[in-house]
Amino acid sequence: MDNKGWSLKGSLLPLLLLVSELLLGQSVDSLPICPTGAVNCQVSLRDLFDRAVILSHYIHNLSSEMFNEFDKRYAQGRGFITKAINSCHTSSLSTPEDKEQAQQIHHEDLLNLILRVLRSWNDPLYHLVTEVRGMQEAPDSILSRAIEIEEQNRRLLEGMEKIVGQVHPGVKENEVYSVWSGLPSLQMADEDTRLFAFYNLLHCLRRDSHKIDNYLKLLKCRIVYDSNC
Amino acid sequence: MKESVASTVVFILLLFLNTSLLNGQLPPGKPEILKCRSPEKETFTCWWKPGEDGGLPTNYTLMYHKEGETITHECPDYITSGPNSCYFNKKHTSIWTMYIITINATNQMGSSSSDPRYVDVTYIVEPDPPVNLTLELKQPEDKKPYLWMKWYPPTLVDVRSGWLTLQYEIRLKPKKATEWETHFAGQQTQFKILSLYPGQKYLVQVRCKPDHGFWSEWSPESSIQIPNDVTMKDTIVWIFVAVLSAVICLIMVAVVALKGHSMVTCILPPVPGPKIKGFDAHLLEKGKSEELLSALGCQDFPPTSDCEDLLVEFLEVDDSEDQQLMPAHSKEHPGEDRKPTPLDPDSDSGRGSCDSPSLLSKKCEEARANPSMCNTPEGIEKPENPQTKVTCTRDAQSTRLEGKIPYFPADGSKSSTWPLPQPPSQHSPRSSYHSIADVCKLAVGTAGASATLLGKTDTHALRSSKTTETEGEEKAAERREVESFHSKTDQGTAWLLPLEKTPFISVKPLDYVEIHKVNKDGALSLLPKHKENSNQTEKPSTPEASKEYAKVSRVMDNNILVLVQDPRAQNLAAFEEPAKEALPSLQENPAEEDLASFTSSPSSCGLQLGGLDYLDPTCFMHSFQ
Repeated sequence: MDNKGWSLKGSLLPLLLLVSELLLGQSVDSLPICPTGAVNCQVSLRDLFDRAVILSHYIHNLSSEMFNEFDKRYAQGRGFITKAINSCHTSSLSTPEDKEQAQQIHHEDLLNLILRVLRSWNDPLYHLVTEVRGMQEAPDSILSRAIEIEEQNRRLLEGMEKIVGQVHPGVKENEVYSVWSGLPSLQMADEDTRLFAFYNLLHCLRRDSHKIDNYLKLLKCRIVYDSNC
Repeated sequence: MKESVASTVVFILLLFLNTSLLNGQLPPGKPEILKCRSPEKETFTCWWKPGEDGGLPTNYTLMYHKEGETITHECPDYITSGPNSCYFNKKHTSIWTMYIITINATNQMGSSSSDPRYVDVTYIVEPDPPVNLTLELKQPEDKKPYLWMKWYPPTLVDVRSGWLTLQYEIRLKPKKATEWETHFAGQQTQFKILSLYPGQKYLVQVRCKPDHGFWSEWSPESSIQIPNDVTMKDTIVWIFVAVLSAVICLIMVAVVALKGHSMVTCILPPVPGPKIKGFDAHLLEKGKSEELLSALGCQDFPPTSDCEDLLVEFLEVDDSEDQQLMPAHSKEHPGEDRKPTPLDPDSDSGRGSCDSPSLLSKKCEEARANPSMCNTPEGIEKPENPQTKVTCTRDAQSTRLEGKIPYFPADGSKSSTWPLPQPPSQHSPRSSYHSIADVCKLAVGTAGASATLLGKTDTHALRSSKTTETEGEEKAAERREVESFHSKTDQGTAWLLPLEKTPFISVKPLDYVEIHKVNKDGALSLLPKHKENSNQTEKPSTPEASKEYAKVSRVMDNNILVLVQDPRAQNLAAFEEPAKEALPSLQENPAEEDLASFTSSPSSCGLQLGGLDYLDPTCFMHSFQ
C-alpha cells in the first residue's frame, strides 16, 4: 500500500508543477523554474538571460570591431558599401524593423527568431575562420576575433536553447534557418570579388549580431523585469 | 546662310552667359551632408551644409531611398530640426536598414546634388544628456560627509523596455580647479563621492552612452557648497594654542640667548681635569718622568688604612751621613748602567726616606722651602741617557719632573716636590720613592718592585712614553692600583712618590728591611729582607730567620729613622704588638740613644728601650759592606 501511495505522489508532483507553470505564465522569475523532468536544473531564468545578454553584447562588439578593421584595411575606395545592399542571407527571415514591431511580437516568436538567426550563422562563421586563416597576410586582429565570435556564438545558441526550454517548454520547433551560400565568393580568385565577399559577410554579421543583442535585451526586460529595466 | 544663323545663335547664347556671369549668378554649389544622428534609435535627423549659392536663392531638397526599395522619397520634415536639416520621425525610420540619402540644391541657374550618403540608424545613436542632476551632501553620524548625486536618463530614450541600454559617466571638480575628476558609473543613475575638500564649491556634470553608440554631451553644471569641517569654536581654540606656543618659544629663545653660556655650564658642567699638585705638564712633555714625579708634592701622603697591612717598604740602610738616607746612590751613579735592566728585586731601593710618613712632612717642607734653584736643562731625558745632567739638587730634578707631567699644575708646588733622596741622576738603580700603591702592589706580589715603581711613576706621569723600562703589563696593573688609590686622595696627593730611578739597575747589594706595617701614627713595623728573596711581597711566612724590626728608636736629623730589632716578635702574630707599641715610641725623644750601637751586628742591633725595640739601619749597612 505504501508503494502505491508513493507512486501517486510521484506522479502528482510533476503535474502540479506543470499546471503552476502554465498558470503563472509570464511571471516566471519568481519561481525556480525548471521544466518537468529536467535534470541539473539549477540556473534561474534571470541568470540565463543575464548571461545571454552579456554574450550577445560581446559578440556584437567583436563583430563591429572586425568590420571596422576590415573596412579600414581592405575596403577603402572600393565602393563596397554601394554594393552591399540587400545582400544578407538572413534577410529572408522576417525580423522586426523597429521598436514597435519588436514589442508587438510575442516573446516566444521572438525567441524562436533569435534562434533561427543564430543557427543561420553557424556555417558562415565556420567558413569565415577558415578563409581568413588562408588569406595572405591574414590580419591577426580579424582572425582572432572571428575565432572568438564563432565560439561565443555556439555558446549563445546553447544558452538560448536553455532559455527557450524554460520559457517555452515542450514545444520543439523545426530547426529553421537561412542557408548561406556565400562560400564560393569567399574563395574567388579575383581579389576584388573575394574582398567584397568578406566585406559583405562582415557587414551582415555586424547587423545580425546587433539585432540579436537588441531582441534579447528587449526580452530580458520584458520577461525578467516586467518591462521595467 | 545656315552657318551664319548657327553662329549668331551661339553668339546670343554666349551673350546671355556672359551677362549672367557678369551679374554673379551661378548654379548652386554642391551641398554636403554633415551628419545624421538618432537620439533614441527611433527617429533620426540629417544636417547638410549648403555649397556656394551662386548669388541666387537656392532650394535644397533631400531625397532618399531605402535598402530593398526602389522608390525615392523626399524628406518628410525640414523644419523640426532647424535649417538645412531633415527630421525623420518614427514612421519614417527603420532600424537595421540602409538609407541612401542625397541633397539637391536648385536655383535659377541650375542645380547640383551631393554625394549619396549611406546611413544605418543602428549605428548613429547619440542620446541627449541625462536630466535632473541633483546633488546632496549627506552627513551620517560618526562618519565623514559624502556627496550623493542622482540623475535621470534623457527623456526621449526608452530604457525601461530595454530598447536602449545606457551607461553613465560623471565628472566633478572644485570650482577653482582646472582638471575634472571623471568617474564611470555604469548603468546606475546615482553616485557617491567620498573624498571632498571641505569649504569648496563643487561643480558636477553627467553624460551617457547607449550600449552601441556615441557619448552624449555633458549635462549642464550643477554646483554644491561643501561646508567647513572645523567649527568656529575649534578654530578659536587652535589659534589660542598656536599663539601660546609661539609666546613660549619666544621666551625660551630669549632666555637661551641671554643666558646661553651659563645655561650650558649649568647643564653640562665642565669635566674637571685631573690635578696633582706639583705636577708640571711641561716636564711630562719632555718625558722626564722622574723629574716630574719628584716635582710632585707629597701632601696627603699618609697611606690609607686599607693599605696599612700591605705596606711594604724597603729601606736602604746607609751610614753615609752627607746624604740623608741615600748615600749609596751617589756612589753608584758613576758606574751606573743607565740602561734599563730587568727587574732586580733586590735592588729595590729602600730609600724610604720620603715614604715614611713621619719623614714625609719634613722632607716636603724642605722641598717646598727650596724651589728649584738650578738651571736645569729642560730637554727630555730618557732613562737610557747616561749623560744626564745631574748638577742640580733634587729640587732641580723635581723641577724637571714637574715639567714632564703635563696634567699637573706646574705652579709653586714645585717647592713642594718630593725631595729626591737620590742624586740628581735619573737612573738611580734604587727607586727611592714608592707610592702607597706601589707598596701595596709589592705586597700583593708584583714581580720587580723597581719596575713596578717606575711603572707607577709613568702612569702617574700620564703615560709618558719616554721611559721604556717599564713593562706594559705592569704599568697597566699599577695604573689600576694607582687610580684606586687616587680616588681616595686628592689630586695633588703627593703620595705618588716621584719614582725617578729605574729599579733595574743593581750594583751594590744592599740589605733591605721590610716595613711590615705602618700605623696611622706612623709607627713602622719592620722585617728584614733577604737577598735571595726576590719576592718582595710581604708574606706572613717570612723565613724563619727573619727578624722583626718593630720599633723606631729615634729620629735623627729629622729625617732618619733609627730602628730597633724586636727579637720578641718572630712571627706574624707578634707583628701587631710592636706596631702598637711603636705608637707611643715614635714620640719618644732620641733619649733612647742607647740604641746608638750602630756598628753592632744586626742581631745586636736591636736595642731594647723600655719595651720598645728600634732598629738602627746603620747596623745592617755594616753587615753588608
